[in-house]
Amino acid sequence: MMEVDLAYAMVAVLWLALIAYAVLGGADFGAGMWDLLAFGRTAEKQRNLINQALGPVWEANHVWLIFLIVGLYAAFPFAFAKVSIALFLPLTLALLGIVLRGAAFIFRTYAVNAGTFTRVWSRVFSSTSTITPFLFGTAAAAVASGRIRVQGEFVETDLSTIWLTPFALTIGVMAVSLCAVLAAIYLTVEAQHAKEEELVRVYRWRALLAGAVTAALGAWGLFLAPSAAPLLWNGMLDHALPLVFATMLTGGVTAVMLLLQKYRLARILIVLETAGLLGAWGISQLPYLIPPDVTVERAAGSPVMITALLIGSLLGMIILLPSLWLLFRIFKSRRDTDSGPLLHP
Amino acid sequence: MLFAIGAVSGTILSFELGLLWPTFTEYSGSVIGLPFALEGFAFFLEAIFFGLYLYGWKRLSPLAHWLCSFPIWIGGLLSAWFVVSANAWMNTPAGFEIQNGEVVGINPIAAILNPSTPYETTHMIFACYVATGFGVAALYAVSMLRGNRDEYRRKGLLLGMVMGSIALPFQMLSGHASAVFLAEAQPTKLAAMEGHFRTEAGAPLRIGGWADPATGQVHYAFEIPKGLSILAYNDPDATVRGLDQFARADWPNVPLVHLSFDGMVSIGLLALLIGTAFWFLYFKGKRSVPKNRWMLWAVGCLGPLAFLAIELGWMVTELGRQPWVIYGVLRTEDAVTTATGLDVSFLVFSLIYVLLAITLAWLLHNLSRIPLPKGDQREKTSGPRAPERIGV
Repeated sequence: MMEVDLAYAMVAVLWLALIAYAVLGGADFGAGMWDLLAFGRTAEKQRNLINQALGPVWEANHVWLIFLIVGLYAAFPFAFAKVSIALFLPLTLALLGIVLRGAAFIFRTYAVNAGTFTRVWSRVFSSTSTITPFLFGTAAAAVASGRIRVQGEFVETDLSTIWLTPFALTIGVMAVSLCAVLAAIYLTVEAQHAKEEELVRVYRWRALLAGAVTAALGAWGLFLAPSAAPLLWNGMLDHALPLVFATMLTGGVTAVMLLLQKYRLARILIVLETAGLLGAWGISQLPYLIPPDVTVERAAGSPVMITALLIGSLLGMIILLPSLWLLFRIFKSRRDTDSGPLLHP
Repeated sequence: MLFAIGAVSGTILSFELGLLWPTFTEYSGSVIGLPFALEGFAFFLEAIFFGLYLYGWKRLSPLAHWLCSFPIWIGGLLSAWFVVSANAWMNTPAGFEIQNGEVVGINPIAAILNPSTPYETTHMIFACYVATGFGVAALYAVSMLRGNRDEYRRKGLLLGMVMGSIALPFQMLSGHASAVFLAEAQPTKLAAMEGHFRTEAGAPLRIGGWADPATGQVHYAFEIPKGLSILAYNDPDATVRGLDQFARADWPNVPLVHLSFDGMVSIGLLALLIGTAFWFLYFKGKRSVPKNRWMLWAVGCLGPLAFLAIELGWMVTELGRQPWVIYGVLRTEDAVTTATGLDVSFLVFSLIYVLLAITLAWLLHNLSRIPLPKGDQREKTSGPRAPERIGV
């Protein structure tokens, strides 16, 4: 029994990493999308705001994904191997997106002068920022739908029948719009800090609009779920309903706070909203890691390794969390950009 | 900028573990997953403080800013150690047993501290310092050849040469220790490195030449009698096991491993020669950086060569381990994914890397043309364009 508890504790750690990646890395993807949609009089200002918001933090945010992947590899090697084979195509494409996006962002940041070079890499950055979360969304939906069959050791590579279903497409688009909401709310706060009132208005409305789209897609996903992802649906009815309702409520309150211009509060709420959404998925899916054939228990690697990982993660967090706090305090607190040195040791 | 490219490349690595080698991950995750996860934290540390370092010029006091560089190099060092320990495990797997096809008796710590770890990690970490030192020196040497002979370039050149030259002897000693260790731990690898087909007492050291696996001869090689026996066992008459002791199916690609190894060692010896000449001229000129064109050319070539040596070294350790992915446990052909379209995926990723490399090189070249800000020495390292300079 102890071994199963350890495995569940590890799933919880990985799910928290997933949530961290979604609220931090997801917002970076969203910012890329808003970069694509930066037009009008304030387009240049919008791009500058996005660059300033992303520059210092995107690499650290990205490491959550790496931690998630290697954690899955170390703790649940069986599940990691099977998902990698089954979803070879969307995951490879998402990987390409990540590589191009990171490189494109850095190329355009360090471009010596504006011109075709900057324009082209800017487009690469913003379009891959949109495609990548879509692919991750479809891959997640493919897992949740329970269509990846693991017969004994064998699993088949899927070309389109699992990750390109109406359900998976819905979740893919929803992932994109959720990233857009996250980014729009963060950028509203950043614009407020930078005293760019015009941009505050722009991003506030975009946040509301994208939020409405996300809610509609969520409702459509729920409508499709009973037939498209029956195990997930039943799991949700069985043990995740309170969380689902709380998440819906949080979404509503977030919109109200945006309307009331309580942007910092809205930022906290959208983080909770995202955590609730991903948490509800995870809890609904338990006890399966890859429904319907692979449970957490079956996928778990050696209990010794999982114990070592849990201890390692705990020690790592002791170093990591204060460092992250410092990073975000320095770059995301309510200060002007050029207020000089802020920290004296 | 290089850090960002490295960060996304690291993502490729972690994803492709599963995408390309699912069977390997199934086998290895439970045994050697720990250093990967710990490396994740080291990487976090680097990324966070890199953000602070690059973008914090105006927001941090100079001392706080300088302190931010510590987690970067410590994180980098830890990353290197963890990742190479995982590779060492592939060479000398430890910390588990196989009973009836099941992996049992897992000990993650023993896996990290497998027999190869001390040799491989030190060899790689010193390699990083050698290559980075000579790489930096090379950049400034080339700049000086173009006529920019100011204090900034001279100091840059000197700093790079100091770092590379201090690390180089340690690098050579660790390399020798590795070879001695391989004689026992991975005899097929050592035999391939040295083009050593026949088991013999008083084995000669063969340098260069074409090691032909079909005939078991090394053509056109330069031979030092009894050299290999002395190097591997410290005894001129020691018997060194050759490839003939092992089934042909367990041989790595002998000519490639042999030439990669000799290439790596030659670059190391060349570095020693150039380094010695540089410091000779430096002290002979009463502690002034040599301005001799030949010397600057030599240093300029040494930088890229040092990085080539790292690549050749990885070819030795990786090709030399073949046909195994986990030495003696799992063959490479059994570890690869069953997914189709691997050739397409390989082609696409290769093309993208070529594209990124060209763009990066072009951008770095343009950045290097931005003149330094005028002013005193302090401003040169903390002026407005300086963050970007350090950032590349």
